[in-house]
Amino acid sequence: MNLKKFFTAFIAAFIFLFVFGFLWYGTLMRGAHEEVPALFRTKPDYPWLNLGHIVMAFFFTILCVRVIPAGGLGAGVTVGILVGLVYAGPHLLSFAVQPLTTKILCGWIVGAVIQFAIAGGLIGAIYKPGRG
Amino acid sequence: MKKFILAFVAAYIFLFLWGWLLNGVLLKDVYAETPNLWRSQSEMMSLFHWIIIGQALIVFAFVMIYASGFVGGGVMAGIRLGVLLEIAAIGMRMGFYAVQPFPGKLIVYGSVSGLIEMIILGAIVGAIYKPASARKP
Repeated sequence: MNLKKFFTAFIAAFIFLFVFGFLWYGTLMRGAHEEVPALFRTKPDYPWLNLGHIVMAFFFTILCVRVIPAGGLGAGVTVGILVGLVYAGPHLLSFAVQPLTTKILCGWIVGAVIQFAIAGGLIGAIYKPGRG
Repeated sequence: MKKFILAFVAAYIFLFLWGWLLNGVLLKDVYAETPNLWRSQSEMMSLFHWIIIGQALIVFAFVMIYASGFVGGGVMAGIRLGVLLEIAAIGMRMGFYAVQPFPGKLIVYGSVSGLIEMIILGAIVGAIYKPASARKP
């Protein structure tokens, strides 16, 4: 494993996941979340949010490197879409057991797939072990 | 294709039974501590098809990822994939804990059981889904 490329890919994935999460879930979906205030904290617990994104980005980067050791943007996007679908599944389960709205469910699923597809593409584009 | 379908069906049956045992039986009292966060029993039953679809989606995407980069590695490769996906999911769960008022112990129980779940799921997929050459004596 090319450690320098790996850590560059991890940092890029972390920054992207965090910024996308802030824009998509924290800004675009804010109104939808406010429709069910009992299900959300009034203010996010930022240390857990930050740590969660670090863990998610780190292990997602390891997964991408394992699945596509040669890297590549297209291959990264494909892995990202599949991982996004793995994490979209629990959103459907949450919808069945929590009083979430359909708008929230759709936003979370679309968000997960887009978020991981782009993060996977970034990792694939950066992690190319044979090129320096 | 046959092995893919077989791995999918076996993993799905496990996930369904595990989900029922864990969430419907073992953690029932923990969920009962925060009734305002959950739908009523009758509402959940009316939306049960989403649980079936959601679990099918998890298993389908899992087997697809296994087939993309882990196939041929057997049980250990399946377990590795399960562990990687679940630890990343624990990160996501931390994110949910940051924005939703779940009790901390529910996150801990969910993460530990999620890890066990994905290890077993990976082992099942890895044991069943093997390339043609790996099955020859």
